[in-house]
Amino acid sequence: MGLINDNPENPFKEAIPGSPAFITSIDKVVNWARSNSLWPLTFGTSCCAIEVMMAAGAAHHDLARFGAEVARPSPRQADLLVIAGTIVKRMEPLLKTLYDQMAEPKYVIATGACAISGGPFIYDSYTTIRGAHEVIPVDVYVPGCPPRPEAFFYGLLTLQKMIIEGQTIAKPFERRKPVLSVLPPRIKLEQIRDELVKNLTARSVTDLNQNPKELGL
Amino acid sequence: MSQTIESFKLLLENAFSEPLTYLEASQLLTIKVQENQLFATLKTLKETLKFDALIDHAGVDWPNENKIELIYILFSTHHNQQIMVSADIDRNQPTPPSVSSLWAIAEWQEREVFDLLGVTYKNHPDLRRLFLEDNWVGSPLRKDYKDDFILERPW
Ligand code: SF4
Repeated sequence: MGLINDNPENPFKEAIPGSPAFITSIDKVVNWARSNSLWPLTFGTSCCAIEVMMAAGAAHHDLARFGAEVARPSPRQADLLVIAGTIVKRMEPLLKTLYDQMAEPKYVIATGACAISGGPFIYDSYTTIRGAHEVIPVDVYVPGCPPRPEAFFYGLLTLQKMIIEGQTIAKPFERRKPVLSVLPPRIKLEQIRDELVKNLTARSVTDLNQNPKELGL
Repeated sequence: MSQTIESFKLLLENAFSEPLTYLEASQLLTIKVQENQLFATLKTLKETLKFDALIDHAGVDWPNENKIELIYILFSTHHNQQIMVSADIDRNQPTPPSVSSLWAIAEWQEREVFDLLGVTYKNHPDLRRLFLEDNWVGSPLRKDYKDDFILERPW
């Protein structure tokens, strides 16, 4: 799973002359700049796109706080590919092309169960790709169906942290292993569940205590 | 002009010479036709009763009864009425007539049904796959479809 540069003889990789101290300081500045101006590609294939692109980008949650609001319609100008939604066989070559067209450095966040593993469509589906990592390398996984905007932001912050810590100019193609960014440490799963239960009970559309076995599911 | 269902049914029955078979299963006004009368019925609905929009066309696979059910949902902007036409065709040799000469949109909707259920329409101008790759083998929406890619549900 994931990426990483398994070709050590990369022709693009050259040692930069000069003292290591100089490179390290430059690295810090460059990585800081890169991490704070991630331009995402406008790319969404199904329901997660509504959550991630609309909810996260809109005023209430506001992606602009993290410098990632400049959605680009062209892969040439984008740094970040957010895979928001189901990838089907027909989409696979297009996703690959989009990824290849993006200029280095490029980062990939896979949001939602579908992009991680196939999600709700993992079984009995004739066309759903089981995880975006089967097509392109992924840096950060954000689970959820769809993920909350908070979870997505946490994934973005995780990626920023990886960029700041990780890449250097001297080794442009090397990256860390992909990570799974679940929830911010202070938010408990119970809190989210209680909030959902409260909302659902208030509207009383669902019997939350029903047993799926009795429904024959 | 808008009428009640009852007065519309009268209008409907006057337009056809044979009595119609209604299906009670759906909330929509539904008539059942034989495969050999399918095209004539739809033509009458279009030309005499002014059903000018084919809203949807789909197929349902019934492997136990060895049939494929074709569904046409029509809308008449003239009468403000919807009607559903259902026809059963043979599952092994599904060759119903194409209605793309009546409604142009049917061309694409029939391509979808051809793609997913393997129904080969007669007199269709351009019967190619629509959603799946051109070299796909089989019809994935048939209930007995299997291939190597599918992961079986383990329970
Ligand atoms: S993970 Fe859930 S919300 Fe996201 S694309 Fe898949 S089904 Fe839709």
